[in-house]
Amino acid sequence: MISGVAMVKGGLAVPWAILMSLLVYAGSAQLAALPLIVAGAPLAVIVATGLITNLRFVIYSAALRPYFAQLSLHKRARLGFFMTDFTFALFMRTAQEGKLPEQNRDAWFAGVCTNNWLTWQVFALTGIVAASYVPTDWGLEFTGTLALVALVGPSLVTRPALLGAVVAAVVALLAHALPFKLGLFVGAIAGIVAATLTDAWQQRSPPASAASA
Amino acid sequence: MNDPVSGIALGMVIVGLALSTFITRTSFLIAGARLRLGHRVEVALRFAPVCTLAAIIVPDILLHGPNATLDLSLLNPRLIGALATGLWLCWSRNIFGCLAAGMAAYSLARLYL
Repeated sequence: MISGVAMVKGGLAVPWAILMSLLVYAGSAQLAALPLIVAGAPLAVIVATGLITNLRFVIYSAALRPYFAQLSLHKRARLGFFMTDFTFALFMRTAQEGKLPEQNRDAWFAGVCTNNWLTWQVFALTGIVAASYVPTDWGLEFTGTLALVALVGPSLVTRPALLGAVVAAVVALLAHALPFKLGLFVGAIAGIVAATLTDAWQQRSPPASAASA
Repeated sequence: MNDPVSGIALGMVIVGLALSTFITRTSFLIAGARLRLGHRVEVALRFAPVCTLAAIIVPDILLHGPNATLDLSLLNPRLIGALATGLWLCWSRNIFGCLAAGMAAYSLARLYL
């Protein structure tokens, strides 16, 4: 919703704001591009901003690749386009817990993504249409953050994951002043490296009981 | 107030931004589908969700206001909301319960603190 309200209050005409919401479907990139659009920045600069803001999706798509490698190009493209932070994390957790049979993983993911897309668009369109009436400080968008909290919590039980999350959070905090949400990307990379190193170190020196087995 | 931004130029910007989403989200699913990433990278990517989410969530909860100042105090409504969600999560995995608990705590904290 915040993206919808912001687009219209930022000065986009309503039909174009709706088109942007439907086609771009990336809240953080839309918010980052908005001031550039309003200021009349060159197309290349705006698109580059979108690309950098969306960099984390490259990591997501690499992580999803092994699960969907056998699908047709058309299906992979569709699943990729509708993937978001939330649906990616939900899919990875469910798949890693072994709860998804191989033959209908893609259908499950498509369903989750469709729901997420519809919900997001309903709120974004509400924001666009009601921009002048909706107070922006209801704080409803915080639900999105809380959903991510609920999603990440159960994964924090292993040492590599916990350490990776702490490193990612600290680096993201330190680097938050970087433009284009790069702090997020840098933090994520640092966390992944820390988690992988911890994991490798644990494999090399397994607990005593495992070593004797 | 200026006229709302619209027109063909804006249409091209929208298409360009849509491409930026499409290219990043499908990068490894389409263009990189044939790449062999190696065992190490595959292991590393298992930690992608937890690390990216931490990097998204924590600054969103702890950084406040126009200057994005760090707020670690227990008067921070977002921190209270996140803690409530975390506590709820300890005894139920139901995501709606977690969201309700978190939003209730967050809203109460915003109203009364």
